[in-house]
Amino acid sequence: MAFLDPFGDRFGRVLAAVAVLVVVAGIATAGAFAADPSAATPDPVAYDDTVELGLSSETDELMAGSARVPRVQVFYSQLQYVVGYNGIESFVASVDDGRTERQFGYPLVVHVETFDGGNPGVTDDGLFEAERSTDWIPANEATYVVGSTARTPAGETVVPFSERTNAEAFAAEHGGRVHDWAAVRNRSFDVDSAATVRSMAPERWTAADRRIADAEASAAEHTGEAVVVGRDAPTIDAAVAAAPPNATVVVPPGTYEETVTVNESVTIAGDGARVRGDGNGSVLTVRAPNVTVSGLTIDGVGNETRDPETARESADGDADEGWDTNVQLGYGHGDAGIRAIGAPGLLVDDVAVETNASGVLLREGSDAVIRDLRVDGSDDWRDGFMGVIGMESRVTITDGRFEGGRDGVYLHRADGSIVRNSTFVGNRYGTHLMYTGNALIADNRFRDAEFGGITVMTRPSGNAIVGNDVRDSGAGIQASGTRSYVGYNTLVDNRLGFSTSSRGSLYEHNVAVDNEVGAHATTVVPSSRVVANDFVGNDRHAEAGAGALRIWADDDRGNHWEGADVGLHDPGERAYRPTAPVDAALHHETAAAVVRESPGAVLLDRLHGTVPGARSGSIVDPSPAPGPYAPERVAAAREPDPAPIHPEWRLELAGDDSITVSTDTMNAHDRNATDETNRTDETNGTNVMEPRRSTERSRTSFGPERRR
Amino acid sequence: MRGGIGGRTAVATVFRRELATVLRTPGYGVLAVGLLALLGGIVAVGGGADTGFVPAVVDLLLVTEVVVPLVAFVIGYRALLTDAETGELAVIRTYPVSVGGYVVGVVLARGLAFLAIVVVPYALLGVAVWATAAPDTTIFATHSGIDSPLLYLRFLGLLVPFGAAYLSLATAVSAVASSRRGAVAVGVLVLAVAVLGGDLAILRSLATGTAPSTIPGLLAFTPNGAFRGLVFQGVIGVAFTPEGGFVDVGRALGSLLVWTVGGVAVSSATLAYGDRLEALLEGVRARVDE
Repeated sequence: MAFLDPFGDRFGRVLAAVAVLVVVAGIATAGAFAADPSAATPDPVAYDDTVELGLSSETDELMAGSARVPRVQVFYSQLQYVVGYNGIESFVASVDDGRTERQFGYPLVVHVETFDGGNPGVTDDGLFEAERSTDWIPANEATYVVGSTARTPAGETVVPFSERTNAEAFAAEHGGRVHDWAAVRNRSFDVDSAATVRSMAPERWTAADRRIADAEASAAEHTGEAVVVGRDAPTIDAAVAAAPPNATVVVPPGTYEETVTVNESVTIAGDGARVRGDGNGSVLTVRAPNVTVSGLTIDGVGNETRDPETARESADGDADEGWDTNVQLGYGHGDAGIRAIGAPGLLVDDVAVETNASGVLLREGSDAVIRDLRVDGSDDWRDGFMGVIGMESRVTITDGRFEGGRDGVYLHRADGSIVRNSTFVGNRYGTHLMYTGNALIADNRFRDAEFGGITVMTRPSGNAIVGNDVRDSGAGIQASGTRSYVGYNTLVDNRLGFSTSSRGSLYEHNVAVDNEVGAHATTVVPSSRVVANDFVGNDRHAEAGAGALRIWADDDRGNHWEGADVGLHDPGERAYRPTAPVDAALHHETAAAVVRESPGAVLLDRLHGTVPGARSGSIVDPSPAPGPYAPERVAAAREPDPAPIHPEWRLELAGDDSITVSTDTMNAHDRNATDETNRTDETNGTNVMEPRRSTERSRTSFGPERRR
Repeated sequence: MRGGIGGRTAVATVFRRELATVLRTPGYGVLAVGLLALLGGIVAVGGGADTGFVPAVVDLLLVTEVVVPLVAFVIGYRALLTDAETGELAVIRTYPVSVGGYVVGVVLARGLAFLAIVVVPYALLGVAVWATAAPDTTIFATHSGIDSPLLYLRFLGLLVPFGAAYLSLATAVSAVASSRRGAVAVGVLVLAVAVLGGDLAILRSLATGTAPSTIPGLLAFTPNGAFRGLVFQGVIGVAFTPEGGFVDVGRALGSLLVWTVGGVAVSSATLAYGDRLEALLEGVRARVDE
């Protein structure tokens, strides 16, 4: 202490040192005020390192050719991640949506990629194409061609150039007008949102009806002569070979030990007939359009689940593309009860397959309607394969039952497929989509799926997952992609109810009861809406992975969280944070309410939600709903011996153009996240009444994030 | 009396003497450690420090508005009182030390103490945030957004005039009060009025029809309002809107300065003329009694 003696000799020096320190600190502080942090302009990063929002980049059109979507990368003031948008329109639309600024802050810097030297043009399909992009430049230094004939799979697109002359040249060739950034930013673009997908869900249901009717009508045209097996020909294969086009091959009751190849548009109509293969290869192979197969039971399918050659290749390291190719080559070439290759218009009606490989395998444009199909797969999913496997074929499945095996329904590049009213029990995944967009998965029942009831991998766009009932499974619904609609599902007793992996999506009116985790927020940068869901009796209502704070509400309309209204406040008056330890315990432990009223907890409550973009790993619902949105479904979920729950979502969605959109986003990071299991069951049953909807027109286009 | 080499030396001597008093009070060290623990706890539980400086400031702001005035009062409420009580002030006044010089010397020493007790813990916290704040995941490219150590430095810079205003008020209380107990009582009163009163007055005036456009100006009048406004303007608000407009900056700075100078002036005046005033009052009372 001696040197701190104010009356000592050295004190003068200490004092001088302190004075110098204070002066330096003062100057530094003055400098801090003089500098403008918002003026910093970070350099653009590699687009692959951004968190991707907006239009999906994984549509077939984009992956196939030279078509491109002009990309944007944005540095937001509160967000630590650089956000990438596919499509300048996506970014502009997201800025128009006030939630973006509220959640991420304002854009500090916006970079766009320009196409001056990339030989930009328009494909024959009208899509914008370029060999490459030339440079990333600040958005306000670029010149834009608006309203040209160039489009993206999502519609109108704006093409940026760094030199005005290049923009004018492009406009002269492909139409449109040249604008600067300010004009582009103030434009309003129609960007499809998850709300669009929601409004289309009932139409897709109707489309399925129409496809079934069309298939029946087409089958009914097979009025040519009847060829009866046993009478006119010794075997089914011989009968089919002998039958002229549009004939009906009648298969009387009995067991037929043979394999059949169909090269003609005929109907094979069985009645109590069993076709038994020799345990090698597929039993029934269809290579002609407009074939109908009905009333058969098939067994004796080979054990090859996929092409062993490609399976081996894919085992040796695979890059992304290789992986996809290997799946297509491998998965599409295993054994199946019915195998259709390049056979559009196939109708499979009232058929049962017992198999340790696949039930029905469709590839190369074998668009099919499958009704009343029963597939009995292997007991352990590792031994079997898919109930229905559709590759590059649009599949319509209704009233099926898929028991055991690997995946009940596996669809790969099968855009526009519909799976409805079916039952899945004891699969690995009940329904599994890869690169498949604009699909409808509705009113199915999933039970005991090892990994999950419904899973959507890769980043497809525009899927609707509605009215399903998933119980006792690894996960209820894990759908990645963009612009997905996940609504009216009932998720009970799973390890995970649903994840919000799809970006720019809408998760509403789902009921998560008694799961280990009700919902999991995965995307790093929020862009979806999660609203009007009911969380009851879950061990944890919701969890969040890494990333900015997720706000799960739509204006003043939140979700129902059991326990949220405990305590000294009016229901809905107090924000609920399912990821906070105290709030998470409210529905388990009465005393948690007391802790929650402590000044410390109240203070923290107040702080959360400010600068949301800079907060990490949590979820807040600013206005939790006092009661469940769908009390009947919550009650029905807990009845013993549950009947599947099917809310009347078609009525609700069809009758109402003023529904709310929600978007919340999260992203999954793992691109092939397969995780858990579920069992399948169906869901059906209850109606949901939904008294509260708000209208909102969403122009959000946040996409999901990209995972890597 | 005033100016000249003698005056400066007198201030320096008083300053040294006051510093010695501070250094010999171990409680102040405990106070600094306690403050560091409190702030660290808040930031840790609030979670703001995980991600950056601005969220950390958001977490700290409310607590700062209460704790900084409180600590300033703890440091200042007996600064002038003790010497007056013990009669040392009367002794000091026999030397060529002006009342103004005495008060300035005391306030400067206490100000330095304030810097050490309050600003140092805040600065240490800033270093901790700087060392630990990181994005949740490094899978994606990251940037710091608007967040920057500069913003935290601004916050530290704003703590100084805010604390100075309260420190000066506290010394004024210590000059006015005639006993330690009285100083505590008056101090608590002043603290409550200053911390809460100004904002309540604004709420009240808004309720009675004052135009909302006057808020930036009104806010600047109280130390808390001015400080909060400046923090929004210079630190937090930067993350929301580049334009600002949270407070009338000039008036807020001026107000903090006026509070500081005003406190010193009240202290000096009380010490200089308090006796005479008392005598005057005695006289009046005596006459009334007659």
